[in-house]
Amino acid sequence: MEKTLLSIEQMEEINSLLKQKAVEAGAETWQDRKEAQKVSCKFGEEGVCCRICSMGPCRITPKAPRGICGANADTIAARNFARMVAAGAAAHSDHARDIAHVLHMSSENGSYKVKDKDKLYKLAGEWGVSTEGKDLYDVAHEVAEVALMEFGKPFGTLRFLDRAVDGRKETWEKEKVAPRAIDREIATIMHSTHIGCTAEAESLVRMGIRTGLSDGWGGSMIGTELTDILFGTPTPTQTESNLGVLEEDMVNIVLHGHDPSLSEMIVLASEDAELVAYAKEKGAKGINLAGLCCTANEVTMRHGVKMAGNFLQQENAVLTGAVEAVIVDVQCIFPAMAALADCFHTKFITTSPKAKIPGATHIEFDEHHAFDSAKGIVKEAIDNYANRDRAKVYIPDSKQTAMAGYSIEAIIKQLDLVTNSHVDKTGTVKPLADCIVSGVLRGAVGIVGCNNPKVRPDYSHIEIIKNMIANDVIVVATGCAAQAAAKAGLLDKEARNLAGQGLRTVCELVDIPPVLHMGSCVDISRIILLVNAVAKHLNMDIPKLPVVGIAPEWMSEKAVAIGNYVIGSGIDTFLGVYPQVTGSAEMVDLLTNRVEDIVGAKFTVEMDPAKLSEQVLERIEAKRTALGI
Amino acid sequence: MTLFDIIFQGTSDALSAAKSVVEKAVADKGKEHKVAFPDTAYSLPVIYAATGKKISNLGELQEAIAIVESLLVKEQRLENGLNAGLGTALAAEIIEAAKYSVEEAPYVAPLAGHISDPIIRSLGVPLVTGDIPGVAVVLGECPDAETAAKVIKDYQSKGLLTFLVGKVIDQATEANVKMGLDLRVIPLGYDVTSVIHVVSVAVRAALIFGGLEPGNLDGLLKYTLERVPAFVNAFGPLSELVVSAGAGAIALGFPVITDQDVMEVPTRLITQKDYDKFVATSLEARNIKIKITEIPIPVSFAAAFEGERIRKGD
Ligand code: SF4
Ligand code: SF4
Repeated sequence: MEKTLLSIEQMEEINSLLKQKAVEAGAETWQDRKEAQKVSCKFGEEGVCCRICSMGPCRITPKAPRGICGANADTIAARNFARMVAAGAAAHSDHARDIAHVLHMSSENGSYKVKDKDKLYKLAGEWGVSTEGKDLYDVAHEVAEVALMEFGKPFGTLRFLDRAVDGRKETWEKEKVAPRAIDREIATIMHSTHIGCTAEAESLVRMGIRTGLSDGWGGSMIGTELTDILFGTPTPTQTESNLGVLEEDMVNIVLHGHDPSLSEMIVLASEDAELVAYAKEKGAKGINLAGLCCTANEVTMRHGVKMAGNFLQQENAVLTGAVEAVIVDVQCIFPAMAALADCFHTKFITTSPKAKIPGATHIEFDEHHAFDSAKGIVKEAIDNYANRDRAKVYIPDSKQTAMAGYSIEAIIKQLDLVTNSHVDKTGTVKPLADCIVSGVLRGAVGIVGCNNPKVRPDYSHIEIIKNMIANDVIVVATGCAAQAAAKAGLLDKEARNLAGQGLRTVCELVDIPPVLHMGSCVDISRIILLVNAVAKHLNMDIPKLPVVGIAPEWMSEKAVAIGNYVIGSGIDTFLGVYPQVTGSAEMVDLLTNRVEDIVGAKFTVEMDPAKLSEQVLERIEAKRTALGI
Repeated sequence: MTLFDIIFQGTSDALSAAKSVVEKAVADKGKEHKVAFPDTAYSLPVIYAATGKKISNLGELQEAIAIVESLLVKEQRLENGLNAGLGTALAAEIIEAAKYSVEEAPYVAPLAGHISDPIIRSLGVPLVTGDIPGVAVVLGECPDAETAAKVIKDYQSKGLLTFLVGKVIDQATEANVKMGLDLRVIPLGYDVTSVIHVVSVAVRAALIFGGLEPGNLDGLLKYTLERVPAFVNAFGPLSELVVSAGAGAIALGFPVITDQDVMEVPTRLITQKDYDKFVATSLEARNIKIKITEIPIPVSFAAAFEGERIRKGD
């Protein structure tokens, strides 16, 4: 039986009904603001506007090829780009630092506990933290301290670089892009892009890669590892996606943002018997939790919490009129949500001192009393249930079942299903490598990233994923791309029927969907480690593998940092939206061409998802041909 | 060469061999000359089951070559690899049918060649009850006769039906393996193409016991995958033709276990270099669980020996 997908047209129809709700409520949405922005400024679009000193702003035109300090288009575009990398890496860095602090806070009887002891001990072993005769929490705290040192240690390079396949380590060493301390790399970029410092584009591109790598093999990887230790390594779990997961007669709480130390506590609080009873007292049938963006990914990976949607769906959640509270922490939260929530009964609650938003209800989340703090926030939502205006409620009757929870550990466990106990060891990626080498799978792609109003939302994600699986390319997804796949129905095991025979057979044997949800944006580190494991197994460097990264609808600076560490890791990266560097021919040449000589991979930009898919498949086949497989 | 290219090459080889064999037969005997396997109501069973076409003379046999050609699409995809494998199976059947058409007795005892319908009917019940827990196809050449005997006798002791193709037949003889239908070890023939006679058994099982409509290829593949617990052991250097035939087995749902280095496909194409583990690896790959516990007595003891007469002097 063919899996029925939710088509992009159906999604758009729902969106336009919700847009109608906004118009009725006099609420403004991103579509209005996009419209009001008119055509965006060409100088910014091309990356040749500079405002890093007060002699400027300067912009580059044919008649004014240099800024006042003498910086040309190449320098300016490169500096702007490098700063995007720094900002993205900083976002992931700070996220990871928080998690490390939380691990350091963990205790036997506290809100935060160690859930995956094995993973903690493994990491302790890797980092040389002795565990002999030590209390579990002493080990946890020491590991947390080592992790925290990674952000600012004075000497050496990042510890996780040791995990890389030999060829990568050598390349990083040789090209001097091996990241040192995470925050140091970010600071170095801010320094070098100051007026009168680095003017050489290539040098800035290299710094961008090094800083990107400090994210992928540093901040993000630490974030993912420690989150697994604290809250459990994800295992396959069934969930549901899209706005239809909101409930007519329950207190609907939407969690939005990124940091699992908040969301995990909210999950616990929403299951708390006392609070559930309280909700019932207030006339609701219970508490219904749903996630948005990466927080949704984190809690769905570990608890199967339903996913309301991705980045450009955040306002839609409020527009249903059925949401009592949107609880947010950091990153990718529209400041517009405050004003939007005012048009409905919805409470927009900010919780982090790092992301205060005017007009929001700010209830600072207290990590030291995490559970109680979360309960207080959930109670606010319950109290708001009575205020719901039933006349304004419209919950689209649309949801899809989805599988999530595919950590590397979970994937390997699935792969064990196809090992032969008389030949193979379990617990390895050999079956995946075998499928790729034999050609049953043509390759693997990671589809990641955001939504962007510059392209038809979710269209590219879905089109590209469909093209990949139909051509026997297995897809792993994270972030808002994974959510797009979930909404469409592509994370369901039945979606294997949309795959080519090779992938379909693999999915049947391994019992997986054709698109594996590997988590949030920081969890792209999982993808990198999976590819790295295959490279190690095959004893070859990553650029040789028929593996590609795609960010079809990227928008954030985090996405830029990610793109930089993905190519830094030796994986060709395809973008569906142009980075703001096109005003510099040299930057375009560096990113789409010369960077390959440095790290063995490069960027390709193509806005048409059909053409992009074709190019990806060609690249994959070219890599296969080069390997003779 | 990629795995699929090896398969495509094997299919091309099978195709040109089939073409020349049939051409020669037509030149010698004419297009009207009769083509049939003995004692079967299913014409050329593999072609009949796969396409619904019955073939009765050399002219029609020649036309059947177009089916093989249509199965050879050289784009690197699993379905093409599997289809090419099926193409090789059909080509093998064409070649074997031509043998039976032009020769009086292409196979002489102990070689079985084509297996008759009555034999297949007699195998039906023990296959369904699990009395025959599986069908092993052992082909090629083991490193030595002793290894061959060990593997074959192991299957025999577990009650499996074992078909032998190629030099392994001589090795079995050399090592004094007792053969015969009632002993459940059947030497088919020396040419790789004679392996089609065991495929023909599986296919007729689908037609006879599975009530399969001739021409329902998908149904056939589903039946053999789910209901015929067969697998292939390929020993010794693998020609492209053998790999391609192996792809045909895989298309039918039969895993291939080999002692050679190949590009492995989990659960389907497996390399096992340890001959002591060959049988266990194969049974696990086909998910065959032996019903009766083995009895640790020095002589192999199983249903396979029921038909053996103890002769004086043994
Ligand atoms: S750094 Fe140079 S280009 Fe930039 S604003 Fe200052 S003077 Fe202008
Ligand atoms: S994918 Fe992009 S929009 Fe979505 S949460 Fe991650 S950074 Fe934000």
